Amino acid sequence: MKKLCKNGFMLGMALLLVFVLGACTAKPNSSNEKSDGKQVLKLNNGAEPTSFNPPIGFDAQSWNALNNLMEGLTRLGKDHEPHPASAEKWDVSSDGKTYTFHIRKDAKWDNGDDLTAGDFEYAWKQLLNPSTGSPAAFLGYLIEGGEAYNMKKGSADAVQVKAVDDKTLKVTLTAPQSYFLNMISNPAFFPVNQKVAEKNPKWYANAKTFVGNGPFKLASWKHDSNMVFKKSTTYWDKKSVKLDEVDWAMVNDTNTEYQMYKTGDLDSASVPPDLANQLFKEGKVKVDPQAGTYFFSMNVKMKPFDNAKIRKAFALAVDNKQIVDYVVKQKNDPAYGFVSPGFKDPSGEDFRSHNGNLYKYDPSEAKKLLAEGMKEEGYKTLPPITLTYNTTDINKAIAEAVQEMYKKNLGVSVKLANMEWNVYGVDQKKGKFQFSRGSFLADYGDPINFLENFITGMPMNSMQWSNKEYDQLIKQAKNEKDDAKRYALMYQAEKLLIKEMPLFPVYFYNQSELQNSKVKGIVRHPVGYMELKWATKSN
Amino acid sequence: MLRFVLNRFLAMILTLWVIATLTFLLMHAIPGSPFNNLNGKVLSDAAVKNLEAHYHIDQPLPIQYFIYLKSIATFTYGPSIKQPAQTVNDLLGRGFPVSFELGMWALVVAVLTGVLLGIFAALKHNGLIDYLAMTLAVLGISIPNFVLATLLIQEFAVNLHLLPAGTWQGLSYMIMPIIALATGPMAIIARLIRSSMLEVLTQDYIRTAQAKGLPPFIIVMKHALKNALLPVVTVLGTLAASILTGTFVIEKIFAIPGMGKYFVDSINSRDYPVIMGTTMFYSALLILMLFLVDLAYGWLDPRIKQSKEGSK
Repeated sequence: MKKLCKNGFMLGMALLLVFVLGACTAKPNSSNEKSDGKQVLKLNNGAEPTSFNPPIGFDAQSWNALNNLMEGLTRLGKDHEPHPASAEKWDVSSDGKTYTFHIRKDAKWDNGDDLTAGDFEYAWKQLLNPSTGSPAAFLGYLIEGGEAYNMKKGSADAVQVKAVDDKTLKVTLTAPQSYFLNMISNPAFFPVNQKVAEKNPKWYANAKTFVGNGPFKLASWKHDSNMVFKKSTTYWDKKSVKLDEVDWAMVNDTNTEYQMYKTGDLDSASVPPDLANQLFKEGKVKVDPQAGTYFFSMNVKMKPFDNAKIRKAFALAVDNKQIVDYVVKQKNDPAYGFVSPGFKDPSGEDFRSHNGNLYKYDPSEAKKLLAEGMKEEGYKTLPPITLTYNTTDINKAIAEAVQEMYKKNLGVSVKLANMEWNVYGVDQKKGKFQFSRGSFLADYGDPINFLENFITGMPMNSMQWSNKEYDQLIKQAKNEKDDAKRYALMYQAEKLLIKEMPLFPVYFYNQSELQNSKVKGIVRHPVGYMELKWATKSN
Repeated sequence: MLRFVLNRFLAMILTLWVIATLTFLLMHAIPGSPFNNLNGKVLSDAAVKNLEAHYHIDQPLPIQYFIYLKSIATFTYGPSIKQPAQTVNDLLGRGFPVSFELGMWALVVAVLTGVLLGIFAALKHNGLIDYLAMTLAVLGISIPNFVLATLLIQEFAVNLHLLPAGTWQGLSYMIMPIIALATGPMAIIARLIRSSMLEVLTQDYIRTAQAKGLPPFIIVMKHALKNALLPVVTVLGTLAASILTGTFVIEKIFAIPGMGKYFVDSINSRDYPVIMGTTMFYSALLILMLFLVDLAYGWLDPRIKQSKEGSK
């Protein structure tokens, strides 16, 4: 009955409008396929890309799309490892610091220009140029002279990226690090067509002037509204590209996105929070791992977290599995180490399985540690503790669950406080919080990216933790050429981090989405951006 | 009359300056940084410094204030911090026409249906039509437009497959947003017209007109409606300014590339140039609308004089 009333009301309203508009030619083009048998993939980018200028658009909404319009020297394969792309091969010097890349003879820009080593040199120096103001510039600090230039202490000429000739690029690193090859698959290291950019500094702002070198060409771009990618005819590996076209909508509302997915206007959609439970239960959600960790950070400069035993007690009292299963409910893996799974050491073993679970949920041990810690510090009662998080529904739910666990397992009442993200971020970086929620998403595919955040003085180190041994281990690892030794150092570092426990992990992130069953081959890397090169859509 | 216009114009400039100054002070009083929301990444201090220098927000506040006043006077707000490839003028220049088109349709629909409903309700006072019209009006006021929007999508797009769920590509894409946006104002207008119509209809000059033997249609449309419109015109000024500059929720739900989102997003991301661009644009439009409302008063009801007495 209710439904009937609602329908009647809607129908009435609609008729009224039809009457007013006079002529109504309501013909929604919700037909799923274009009839000529072309493979057209319909995706949602969520919002207008921040920028298609490679060093600027440092976010998923720019780089998921850009990753398919351009290509760096390497490209992540289906195995999530870097493979030759614009560069057909490379030589590494015996000290592991100098890379000489040989760019493909048939690598071209989509305006027909030859892709040259100079385009890479130009782009990378732009990334590091302080006046570019690139938020991703720090990725280039591995290049000799890069950090100094970005900090205004050096010059562009001192940055060790040199186009030896049109097709040869020589790069010298500050340290022999094999993940450099992974790093340069990142859009921050995409080339920029120097000829085009010098003629038109805003070449990246519109479809007409945009020039790429990737599997797809930007055919049209209606700002804030939609983009159309067409298969590139100049891409060196165009025979691998199966899709004819990718249509990107920019729908920012997850419910509308879901409804468009239901009507066939989208082939893939994110999971609307209100329906997440049901959709996950029904097994309709596709889940891919993502390199990143949700954690809580304890400020070692503030009482009572200056005591290691108390920190440990607070970590051991939280049941990560319960949080994942009953609070988050998105098939995440509970974390008992900081580095997420997916990084293989030279012997082929996964970093996470090698180091294993570095602690476990143990309420009775937690209680014991708390008592010992309080005795060491001479507390009769604990100083007041406030757990601060940035305001989102999921953070709130997790914080409340944690609060409940402390009450039950430790008999401690923790106060909760929340803040809007921008304010939170600034205060957290300044180390103003006693106990706070943190998150980390990897920028490049190596465990060092996780671990380097906690050396003394890093912006992520909101726990103000400083440990000489840890700093030393990370420094050594960053200068170690032999990967087996490098991994050994990182294994040791992670163990130390969890033993000292300035933070405790809760779960590893994942990527979840709904996807049309006709669509195959979209690759979502744990670290990296969406890959459509091998995607197909059957009619 | 000219004097009135001139005076009002000067007052407008002064008002805008006050709004500009308050906006500037308020937006710099919000804690937080525009460079924090970059995908949840924590930037190093060096990167933040480079970015601040790039957008001139490392300058002392008084200097920023003058740069800001200059940009307002010359209509050049510079690039958005959030979307550096676009200037604020680009953003407003492409967002406003869309919001305007949608808003204009919604206003037309709201005024026409609202006025008609109101008239019928007043004429059939306490009759079935009155109750039906007022039920509709109460529903229209009490159902928030985002609820209505979601219900419409569920019904007409997902269940019946009659209309597209979202995005902005033509007439069929406009129908649901227009209904969602027009319903609330329509209800308000219907109620206003009904009550003022009821009052006007009992007045002497209407009785005179009836006595003269004028047909009821002419009495209502020519004599009564003109006076009954006054309260509607009053609300229409502010209503038009807010509807024409886009609504955050409706544009978000239907994925319409209008300018509504910039009002909210710019503040969330501390995108200073966009905050001032949207605020100044909205204020100017609102002030203009209020001015037009004042002019309309004089036309609708010659008893309201805004010329000489006001300015002397």
